Amino acid sequence: MSDERFDVVVIGGGHNGSTIAAYLAKSGLSTCVLESRPECGGGQENTEVRPGFRIDPHATYLYGGAAPGFDQLELWKYGMRMVYYASMAGVATLDGQAANLGGRWRPDLGDEAIKRHSPADLQGPGRIFDQLGEDASRQLLRALFWTPPHPQGLEVNPEDMPWWQVFRKYLPNLYFKELIDMSYVDFLDNFVQWDPLKVVGAFGAWYCGAHPDWEGMLLQSLGGTLLYSYASGAPRGGMHTYAHAIIRCAIANGARVMTNAPVGEIIVSNGRAVGVKLSQDAAFPEKTIWADKAVISGVDVKQTFLGLVGKSHIDPSFAQRVDDISLKGGSLFVMSVICRELPRYHNDDRYFPQEVYPSCVIAPADSFEYFRVQTRDAYSYKKSPELTPEHLTMMICTHDPYDSTRCPDGYHVLSPIYLEVPPPQYDVTGPLGINRHKEEITKAALGVLKQLAPNMTDGNIVDVFVNTPYDSEFRNAGMVGGNWYGIRQSEDQWFSNRPLPELSRYRTPIDGLYLCNQTSHPGGLCLMAVPYNLMHVLIDDGVVTPKSWWYPSPFYVSDPKPGTSNIKTPTDIGGTSISSVDSQALAASEEIR
Amino acid sequence: MTLSNVDTEGLRSTSRKQEFGVAPTEHILDEFPLTSAYDVAIIGAGPNGLMAAAYLVKAGLKTIVLERRQEIGGGLATEETLFPGYYTNPHAFYHMMTDYMPIMSDFALNSHGLFFVKPNTQTAGIFSDNSSLILYNQIEDTKDSIAKFSASDARTFGKLMRKWRKIVSEVIAPGTYVPPISPIDMIETFEKTEIGREVLRLSEMSPAEIIDENFESDRVKALLLYVACMWGLDPNESGLGFMVPLMVDRAMNKAQCYGGSHKLAGALSREILSEGGTILDNAEVTEILVDSGRVTGIQLFDGRQIEARAVLSSLAPPLTFGRLIEQEDVPPEMIESASLWEWDKWSFATMSLVSQEPPVYECDDPSVNDALMVVMGFDSLDQVLDHFSAVIAGKLPESIGGHATVETRYDPTLPRIQGHQVSFFQVHAPYEVQGGWDEQGPVLVDNLITLWKRHCSGLVDSNIVMNSLETPIDIETRLSSMVRGSIKHGDYHPLQMGIFRPHDSCVGGRSPIEGLYLCGASSYPGGLVIGGPGYIAAGSVAEDLGAGKWWKEPEYVRRYVSTYMQTIG
Repeated sequence: MSDERFDVVVIGGGHNGSTIAAYLAKSGLSTCVLESRPECGGGQENTEVRPGFRIDPHATYLYGGAAPGFDQLELWKYGMRMVYYASMAGVATLDGQAANLGGRWRPDLGDEAIKRHSPADLQGPGRIFDQLGEDASRQLLRALFWTPPHPQGLEVNPEDMPWWQVFRKYLPNLYFKELIDMSYVDFLDNFVQWDPLKVVGAFGAWYCGAHPDWEGMLLQSLGGTLLYSYASGAPRGGMHTYAHAIIRCAIANGARVMTNAPVGEIIVSNGRAVGVKLSQDAAFPEKTIWADKAVISGVDVKQTFLGLVGKSHIDPSFAQRVDDISLKGGSLFVMSVICRELPRYHNDDRYFPQEVYPSCVIAPADSFEYFRVQTRDAYSYKKSPELTPEHLTMMICTHDPYDSTRCPDGYHVLSPIYLEVPPPQYDVTGPLGINRHKEEITKAALGVLKQLAPNMTDGNIVDVFVNTPYDSEFRNAGMVGGNWYGIRQSEDQWFSNRPLPELSRYRTPIDGLYLCNQTSHPGGLCLMAVPYNLMHVLIDDGVVTPKSWWYPSPFYVSDPKPGTSNIKTPTDIGGTSISSVDSQALAASEEIR
Repeated sequence: MTLSNVDTEGLRSTSRKQEFGVAPTEHILDEFPLTSAYDVAIIGAGPNGLMAAAYLVKAGLKTIVLERRQEIGGGLATEETLFPGYYTNPHAFYHMMTDYMPIMSDFALNSHGLFFVKPNTQTAGIFSDNSSLILYNQIEDTKDSIAKFSASDARTFGKLMRKWRKIVSEVIAPGTYVPPISPIDMIETFEKTEIGREVLRLSEMSPAEIIDENFESDRVKALLLYVACMWGLDPNESGLGFMVPLMVDRAMNKAQCYGGSHKLAGALSREILSEGGTILDNAEVTEILVDSGRVTGIQLFDGRQIEARAVLSSLAPPLTFGRLIEQEDVPPEMIESASLWEWDKWSFATMSLVSQEPPVYECDDPSVNDALMVVMGFDSLDQVLDHFSAVIAGKLPESIGGHATVETRYDPTLPRIQGHQVSFFQVHAPYEVQGGWDEQGPVLVDNLITLWKRHCSGLVDSNIVMNSLETPIDIETRLSSMVRGSIKHGDYHPLQMGIFRPHDSCVGGRSPIEGLYLCGASSYPGGLVIGGPGYIAAGSVAEDLGAGKWWKEPEYVRRYVSTYMQTIG
């Protein structure tokens, strides 16, 4: 089989791989995407597990509403459509409480519920979106997620990090220096009174971003929930439609997409990545595909270096550091339930009327202790799970009340139902441990659901589908640990430390090899953020020169490699070079002020 | 249930105005516009819709394809039906016309990584005593296998297939890609050649008569009649006997799409997108807009409107004319066609199965395990006739028989765990069964596994990872164009074939409503991913809209046209 040659080869047609391909193809580069599965999209999938019924095994909401990619790539041309939901969040407790918290499009629902349960929380930071408004929210989110990590060695005061600059500007009354060292839990302890609201805040943040207990990650936790409320909805048909728009954009701009094409090896020659070789079981077995300008890995950092590059091209200390990257904290046990009736919490329709049914219910949320118990569960080595309700607080999602394409009339799909569990790699009985408890966990979880909503009987439930983190790993090659944000999103593995300090600018010790997976900053959630951030670096390195549709992050600090010719003045791309770092940081903060 | 009720009964109902829970005053991102204008709008991204789009986009027409489902492809589906981790091809699992379809060469699809594996070992029959009969791609290999049962049948088969392959290559295959000839013209023009005369002679016979007249061994007859009729011919009905050579020949020419049948849809979508065409999924069409007898566009379920100079519908007449168009705008002959339309006379029930080891058949010839398809359960012509009679009468046959394929034999990419095997066992089934599918489905699964195990001792419970059943109702649910599980959008019987498919006022895909074209499996020549309806309709649309018809019929089609179609207007 003859070799092929492209400017850029992208390994993996998941969210990040296909988005960078769209960016590069639109910039005029010949680009090839190699996807191991029959279908691109990665975690952006809506699997029709039963004819007519689609579930969300991974991603489920549009977190990326603030992404520059929507207009830069003009995804509307390729079919991007949204469905906006009246209510994005509800909460229910075992002791008979339930509250509809509404969302961006119906804040009145949340107001009413909070007024009833805890008027003091009405003006609290839980309502931060209302205080920020759309424009400031977008700026804060872009500072957090759509900003490439600063170069190593650049000294920036913590309060001058991009996100704190924006926060200070728009919420001066809420800003005080102690926030920087807080965890989100500290913040909730200080500012939220009603326990179920605190539980929702904490769980919501956990499932949307950094774990709320992690030090120094307050704004990242809060940012996750802000991403969630920013769009308050999902793409029409589900997240895979969004993937279709991205992939169709790439193809329309000339990218070549090959499915059933798992990569076996990144070819390294004289320290430079020059192409890839497909694996034995690819549709084109062992075919070689050369990359003249760059190889971009949409696979997680561990498999990229320890598998595809191979230990012969990296030094042992680096290999150890890669091996040690923590996977904890985002591994999901995902259940999908097909039923005839939506859960009727406490057997009373008045909590969640059909027309404003909360798309996501966090339950049971009786006390903050539930959150503590689950944190311990998800971060410890365990033999077998404990299955009492306090161990089983779930995020119970449904889309069909707002999007009729998800299932036939007369049915509902509760999907995903997320339950956070330890990554398979940390199971003391081995990676398959979680699968041995699959049925047991599912049964217990459905038992708790029935306690909350007595109509969730066997007669109501038509079918149940489960993917454990272990299943997710083998279904989605790049989803290491079955972790929806790749690797732990703690301060040690965030921004300029993600996934390792020397890899945080998406460059690698192998020349011409770049990282574009959620294991790089800013993590998962299908934000088109990793590729957007990577573009800045590729521009610096002279790999790509996008046209006028491109605009960079105002906080980007440029550090072109010596000898590359693509250095732009700040007026061209809005960035600066490392030599003018101080004035750059100043300029960025000026701009934001 | 909610504001987003799916009105499955009345597709034309426009009561579902409020499709989203909230209409935000400011959209947070740009979306596909509420109104847009195209030259061509195509309803349905099945094989024919996609093929028509590929030709028309390349002809310079601004084209959009609307698909109700999230995935394009229609029957070209490859789905993770065994969750988590195992893909199957729940509809078209092999392709019978890849060697003829003009689109393969017009778009050089093979050069873009679309591979069809066409093994020599094609279709096997295993009988109750574990003897076997194999139809290979090569005639002499097939004769060797038939000779086990009857030396005379082997000789007959050799002579017959020489003639039948000519019928296929000179008449039926080329006729697939040009508009139909009327029966009167056909009688006149087919009389001119020996092959033509044979086609006319066979047409008057039933499949059972044709097979019975030629062969003596009951087992040879059983397998040949099964493969001749399995996709929808009534074995006792005369009028479509010319299809028998085609179906037997194609049972020796099946090809499996490496990476799944959906890859063909993917390849076609790439051709459409890279030439500037648009594909919109989750986009159910609720109305074809007609003004003063002329099509003006379409309306989607979410309120979006698309203006179009030409609308191509890949749906059958009861959907296109019965539901999508205001009845006062439908000409009487099409109202009649919609109301008289007969859906397929049977559908299918398919059990998919994941096993750790492949099912290995124990029989007199181990090469059965290389066959793309293995037919089980039929020892005699009468058993096959009883089987089809029962299913036509709306019953599940009492004695289970059907066809099985180990999909991973030629496509190891389907399972996400390397080494695991994905297979299916498919039987003909009525849309409705007594007791309902919820009750009868599990019984059928038990019976299928029992029959399968009888021929494969390795297929023990500990080897089986999971299974799932798709009933005719599931087929209709997944692909709503396949009403009552009709994989061909309408029965193959003489009054719905040839120029009458779907109606003799729609020749060449042109409907009596100006600007409305028909391009689906319910149009001539029919279904089964042969690519005819889409190809023919694309030609008519390009001509009518004055776009450059950039493609030329293949040489074998031109020969057919000059031999059989030149004398007619």
